[in-house]
Amino acid sequence: MSIEYFVFMTINGLSQGMLLFIIASGLSLVFGVLRVINFAHGSLYMIGAFLAFSISSLVSGGSLFNFLLLLLVVPPAIAILGFILEISLFRRVYRQEHLLQLLLTYALVLILDDLVRIVWGGNPRNVPRPEILAGSVDIFGLALPTYNVFIMFMGPVIALGLWWLLHRTRAGNLIRAAVTFPDTLGALGVNVSWVMTSTFMLGCWLAGLGGVLMAALANIDLGIGMEKIIESFAVVVIGGLGSIGGALLGSLIIGLGVTFFQLPLGRWALVFPYVIMALVLIWRPWGFFGKPER
Amino acid sequence: MLNIKLNPETNIYEPETKTRHRVATALLIVVFFILPFVLAHLGRTGVYWIWVTTEIIIMSLFAMSLNLILGFGGMVSFGHAAFFGVGAYTVALLMKKAAAPLLLALAAAPLMAAVAAVIIGWFCVRLTGLYFSILTLAFSQLLYMVAFQWYTFTGGDDGLHGVPRPDFLSPTNFYLFCLVIFLICVWLMRMLVNSSFGLTIRTIRENMDRAKFIGVNVRFYQWLNFIIAGAFAGLAGGLFAQLNRFAQTEFLHWSRSAEPILASLVGGMYSLMGPTVGSAFLMCLRIVLQQAHKGLVEYWAIILGLILLVMVLFAPGGLIGLVQKIIKKKNG
Amino acid sequence: MKSKSKMKMTVLFSLLLLSFILVANQAAAETIKLGFIADVSGIGATFFKSQKAGIDLFIEEVNAAGGILGKKLELVVRDAQLKPDIGANMARELILSEKCDFLIGPTSSAVALAVTKVALEYKKIIYFHTSNAEALTTTDFQPFMFQVVPNTGIEGRGMAVALAGRQAQNYGYIGPDYAYGHDQYNAFVKKMAELKPEAKIVETVWVKLGETNYSPFIPTLMAKNPEAVFSSFWGGGLSTFIKQAKPYGLFKKATFSGLFDLDLLRATGNDMPEGLVGYARCPFYAVNTPEMKAFVQKYYGKNKEYPADWAIMAYDGMIALTEAVKKAGTTDSEKVVKVLDGLKFKSLRGDLFIRPEDHMANVGIYVGVTTKDAKYKDHLIMKDVVAIPAEKVMLSVDEVKKLRAGKK
Repeated sequence: MSIEYFVFMTINGLSQGMLLFIIASGLSLVFGVLRVINFAHGSLYMIGAFLAFSISSLVSGGSLFNFLLLLLVVPPAIAILGFILEISLFRRVYRQEHLLQLLLTYALVLILDDLVRIVWGGNPRNVPRPEILAGSVDIFGLALPTYNVFIMFMGPVIALGLWWLLHRTRAGNLIRAAVTFPDTLGALGVNVSWVMTSTFMLGCWLAGLGGVLMAALANIDLGIGMEKIIESFAVVVIGGLGSIGGALLGSLIIGLGVTFFQLPLGRWALVFPYVIMALVLIWRPWGFFGKPER
Repeated sequence: MLNIKLNPETNIYEPETKTRHRVATALLIVVFFILPFVLAHLGRTGVYWIWVTTEIIIMSLFAMSLNLILGFGGMVSFGHAAFFGVGAYTVALLMKKAAAPLLLALAAAPLMAAVAAVIIGWFCVRLTGLYFSILTLAFSQLLYMVAFQWYTFTGGDDGLHGVPRPDFLSPTNFYLFCLVIFLICVWLMRMLVNSSFGLTIRTIRENMDRAKFIGVNVRFYQWLNFIIAGAFAGLAGGLFAQLNRFAQTEFLHWSRSAEPILASLVGGMYSLMGPTVGSAFLMCLRIVLQQAHKGLVEYWAIILGLILLVMVLFAPGGLIGLVQKIIKKKNG
Repeated sequence: MKSKSKMKMTVLFSLLLLSFILVANQAAAETIKLGFIADVSGIGATFFKSQKAGIDLFIEEVNAAGGILGKKLELVVRDAQLKPDIGANMARELILSEKCDFLIGPTSSAVALAVTKVALEYKKIIYFHTSNAEALTTTDFQPFMFQVVPNTGIEGRGMAVALAGRQAQNYGYIGPDYAYGHDQYNAFVKKMAELKPEAKIVETVWVKLGETNYSPFIPTLMAKNPEAVFSSFWGGGLSTFIKQAKPYGLFKKATFSGLFDLDLLRATGNDMPEGLVGYARCPFYAVNTPEMKAFVQKYYGKNKEYPADWAIMAYDGMIALTEAVKKAGTTDSEKVVKVLDGLKFKSLRGDLFIRPEDHMANVGIYVGVTTKDAKYKDHLIMKDVVAIPAEKVMLSVDEVKKLRAGKK
């Protein structure tokens, strides 16, 4: 393989990984604070994608302004949906055994996915890319879609934003404290359930963002939620449940891994995420950046 | 580990000696043996219902096999479909590609599933709680992807179709065949959960640390339980492949793993027959909805989700737990 | 206490079962029921819309004229969701519970391979109008089916004929990883080796059916610089692929070809590059029979759009089925099948005939080059359309028999 293709495929793999990171980081964040693995995260992402489609067909046209509008409107809408789900349902199971938590989120998957089918139907949809991102960039004479490059840069921006939020703001301090010492935090007079709700909303915001970005990258249909939630599981497990840095690493491993293993392995490259997921769980169940429990 | 403890008054694992109970059980079994002959008189509709009840029997077996580790062992596996799928593929491959006789293929199904469970379980029992669940999920997805990608062997996405069926297995005979296997399995599982092994498994569920403390080799017992559950699931998968006459990658998918969990939850995971009640209830409900109004079944996923939601929030003991609660209340 | 409750539960359960059976056993009305196992959602959604519109139009016309054998036609639709296991269950339910007299096939070939076995099990005729795995007529043949769509072998060999003539040495392939893709690929490779031994297949990429994101696969396909690429993607999958591959510059570097039916052309709109070599199963704009003209007019009047290939083939299948039923004078599949052997019928595509040995209608494909046309503003069509007749690329009866014997 020539060096040009190497760079070409690296960038392509990175852009896949970064989209995955945006979705998986939400899942990881929610787990870190709520200790709940949210199967419905994929469904929220899918709702975000379909909502983006609806709004974009309302305002019609692929101008940059419309695309920014989607980025501004859809993620908060999903966050609000998350808010409703958290205070009405999730809150009731925090102290339950994890089987019931998993089943609650699984029930939500069934309900939300079917609602998407009823509201939007089974047709594959997409959102037009804004003109400025619709073309391609020349890299050593090879064309790469501008949009993929854009997503590749979105990943680090979100990662930095999350880092800043978690480490440089009071809200972030509270979230991090809630991860490590939830009881102490409550004893100090902080409204812990508020912290949990906000974290859940932030996670949903990320799912919504992922949905918007995906809707313009590829087609969206009723299967994308189920597909991404499993990939996100792999990412989160590799990096460590609850760790944002870990999610970044996991996304890169899977994004690049699938891309590069395809040349020698062909279709078998798609087995890679599950192999590495199982290996990490066996070797280091808490992932690269996670901490062992108890 | 679990919040709901068994109530000694309603503990139904206790060997039952009351004759009335035995009569009821015997009656139920007789009803099930007569059922296909009644149904056979109803023409095509009857054939359809024989098919449906056969499916219920097989899926009940699958749900019960999971419940050995879920309800009795307290191990939440999200990858039980792996063994169901391995059983199904074993039967399909042996009968279609090697023209093996039915009984041989059906004997191989639990065996192959057990082999898979030996390997997967060895890794999984090293983890507890959520990590155990995720690793089982990862392994079943791994098997799913392998079955998906190995086009020349497993048929990939197309699956393996046209599994031959011996001529003597008419729908009625196959129903009876499955019923007999099911009853034998129930009998075996009943012995198992009431044996000292079963008691140890339940002790581990109730308090793993204490079990360790009194010298129980927790991992070994869990591993063994995992393998047994896998073998039963493999048998269910094998029967299912024979019923449908195909094996499909979907059999290995994680959403298939959720089915016996739902059945266990709905029926009640702290009793032997709970999962059977759960899967029969869910499958009948679905078909009743379909017969009542065609539009209703369109919303099946939502209905199922709502049932699940209500069960999780208000009745985690399942239908059997609910009935027991009501009876207890009536008795004061 | 609990044994009493168990007794009660037993009685309750038996009663419940009985009531289901009574509910389920309502007498069927005096109609001819057609069970359509369709792929309603996902990448098959647009095809389904066209298929159903074609069938609906046919049923409307026939019922207005008094039905077949004095009975009205009635359609029952079930969604197989592109999944073989669901499709098989739906077929069983349609035959046993809905008491359908005939079945209409799905979009996905994998589903078709599963469904055809159920049709045989209960001896009900099924026809395939869109799903077209060649295996349906060879290794997996069963007499209760017939096919009015060019099968994967005809398509793969036909495209090898079309692409072998291009100035290219290195060919690439990308397609969906299931029966349809594999059958078409094998036929393509075999015929290509026959026609142009020096041609090389430099890269083969398989993608899961229903995948919506092709970005991870496109660079792999392009890595070895194929000069021509053949693809078995279809429908929503293909239009997505074209849109996503365009900014990668795939169409500038290689001659790309695939199944460019009207629904695809409409879905891709003006994103469709010009000058791609494609084929269609029945492009209404390139078929000039009086039947087709009348059909297009009626179809346009009703649906306010032109009929896609799927509508036409589903309609043709209905013609063949009802012709056979009329000739047999009964809706009993076992008797109708006998009439189907060698049935000649007047389709929208002209006179067709169902080969008795494999129940394959002699349908070919249409190859052309994408171009803009003033008549159709929202999408491209194909120009210079050449029909490749079935007789040129169809398996011979001997080959069919050989394949079938090899299986056993």
